[in-house]
Amino acid sequence: MVEQQRIEPADNGTSGKGGGRARKSSFLSEAWKRRLPLLPAFLIVVVLTQVPFLMSIYFSLTRWRANTAEPREFIGVDNYIDLVSNSFFWSAAWNSILMTVVSVGLSLLFGTGLALLLDRKFFGQGFARTLIITPFLVMPVVAGLVWKNQMLNSSFGVINWFIEGLGMEPISFASRYPLWTIVVVLVWQWTPFMMLIILAGLQGQSSSVLEAAKVDGANGVSTFFQITLPHLRSYLELGALLGVIYLSQVYDHIRVITRGTGSANLPYFVYLRSIGGGWQFGAASAYSIVVVIFSFIIANFGLRVLSGLLTDEGA
Amino acid sequence: MAVVEYKDVSRIYPGSEIPAVNTLNLTVASGELLVLVGPSGSGKSTALRMLAGLEPANEGSIHIDGADVTDFEPQQRDIAMVFQNYALYPQMTVAGNMGFALKQRKVPKAEREAKVLEAARILDLEPYLDRKPKNLSGGQRQRVAMGRAIVREPKVFLMDEPLSNLDAKLRVQTRAELADLQARLGVTTVYVTHDQVEAMTMGHRVAVLKDGFLQQVDAPKELYHRPANRFVAGFIGSPAMNLIPTDRIDGKVTFGSFQVPLDAQTEKALASQPGVAFTVGIRPEHLQLVTSGIPGEVKLLEELGSESYIHVQVQHEDRDQILVVRTDGDATVSRGSTVNVGFNGPVHLFGEDGLRIE
Repeated sequence: MVEQQRIEPADNGTSGKGGGRARKSSFLSEAWKRRLPLLPAFLIVVVLTQVPFLMSIYFSLTRWRANTAEPREFIGVDNYIDLVSNSFFWSAAWNSILMTVVSVGLSLLFGTGLALLLDRKFFGQGFARTLIITPFLVMPVVAGLVWKNQMLNSSFGVINWFIEGLGMEPISFASRYPLWTIVVVLVWQWTPFMMLIILAGLQGQSSSVLEAAKVDGANGVSTFFQITLPHLRSYLELGALLGVIYLSQVYDHIRVITRGTGSANLPYFVYLRSIGGGWQFGAASAYSIVVVIFSFIIANFGLRVLSGLLTDEGA
Repeated sequence: MAVVEYKDVSRIYPGSEIPAVNTLNLTVASGELLVLVGPSGSGKSTALRMLAGLEPANEGSIHIDGADVTDFEPQQRDIAMVFQNYALYPQMTVAGNMGFALKQRKVPKAEREAKVLEAARILDLEPYLDRKPKNLSGGQRQRVAMGRAIVREPKVFLMDEPLSNLDAKLRVQTRAELADLQARLGVTTVYVTHDQVEAMTMGHRVAVLKDGFLQQVDAPKELYHRPANRFVAGFIGSPAMNLIPTDRIDGKVTFGSFQVPLDAQTEKALASQPGVAFTVGIRPEHLQLVTSGIPGEVKLLEELGSESYIHVQVQHEDRDQILVVRTDGDATVSRGSTVNVGFNGPVHLFGEDGLRIE
């Protein structure tokens, strides 16, 4: 991408000089003919993302409570200093890390298992694949509600029906194990996504390499660990990074299932401090800036892995 | 050193009615390099893959060294295979690739390394042992694939078009190296190719397959001089043999106003043939330009320097027939000129069923 952009202007420069005089009717240079149609989209993106971000940075340096009559006041980095000593922030940060790492890890594990099962021909393969992908297509809020009520509700949930059937007391999962309840739902939703990525990796593996391993005397287990897993490494990395980027921003599930009790992550904490009842827009902006910085670091790392993956496959 | 035997082996792919390999009977002698050759879809790769255990045999049995291996897994057959695309393990170094099979057999590390080094020395791969396959040239990758096979010291080498991904010049060079290596190691080898030149130059014996049927298995010279049927006659040899449909008239096979010269034995065999339709086969080198012969027009001239192939259009039984004449490079004919073609060597005769008459 970057290299292509670098080549284009030079290309236009030479052709522009020669062709410019010959074709007087074209009043736009080649470069602008290409840029102009992209301009509206570019401007919208800037107005909707970059401008609010810059405003957030400014707000994070102010004391601004929306529910009092106090005027907005510039206080420098005080919000960031408060953040360090705020135990709610640290607990939210810890929840964020735990929730993200465990969910991503488990969904990768299950996703790989399912991908291995689906990467062979059997009757109804397409149907099975579609069914397995379905959880990923469900809206997060709907997924949260389905799990909270139909599955986990202590009086009429399916899982508690089983537990009672076994002669045990029903468990109200959402209040007793709030964080792990969220993790279960996240794993359920994200396993299909991981499966798709891993499946793409498996299908990109040359079948003759696997045959060569067979002829060389490797059994199924050693073929998987010595040949397939190293091949999948970059796909696993990609899945992990995309998963981390998305799952560190989870909000919907928490809002629906626990309302943050014992399971608030950083985005939910930002919500609670601002429009979720705290109305401290200045402090909440500071938190969100911290979240953005972390996400940015992860995303950058992710893009590097992604480009590495593409060049690796191209070779 | 091992004998490989196919006994009435057939393979029918699921969803297909026609066998890809049809009742194949073939014995490969110990230390022999046998080439399976045929056009695509002839079943040559399937035959090889069945020997490797990568494809099940639906009927018949396969034996290595007398042992029935038909139902053995590839791991249990003690064979090594070189794949067309080399199938190197991309995440492993050259040394890792070559030592992989030994590692699976739990060969001690020191012994493993010694064997890998020995194979690398034979194949000139020593400087590349720490490289990954993607950092190697096509020829080097091919040698790594070979190395992976010879490190194993298997009973049989299986090679599935191992040279077809190399450029023409390298292919010719590697062809000779490979044949030499096989002769030195003396390991029974089954070699699959679609290239009849490769088959003829490398094979101790060549098995020609078509549509799943074994057509003929013989030494290259035999195959060339006494093709068993019309297909083999047309497939082996470059440029291809001239195959001319002809009718028998008065017990003789004639060509235009000329009588095709046949030896006494063939003539006798011909007399007992029921049909009237025959195919006369004449290799391009057994035709020549003469002062008085079958007249024709030069349609195409292929000059290779050392020799020329002259495509001459003649009249035969009221239709146009192209004859390819192979002459030395000094031929001074031009397109469109009229020449006379004469016979200059043995003529092959094939009956209505395509089988050789002699």
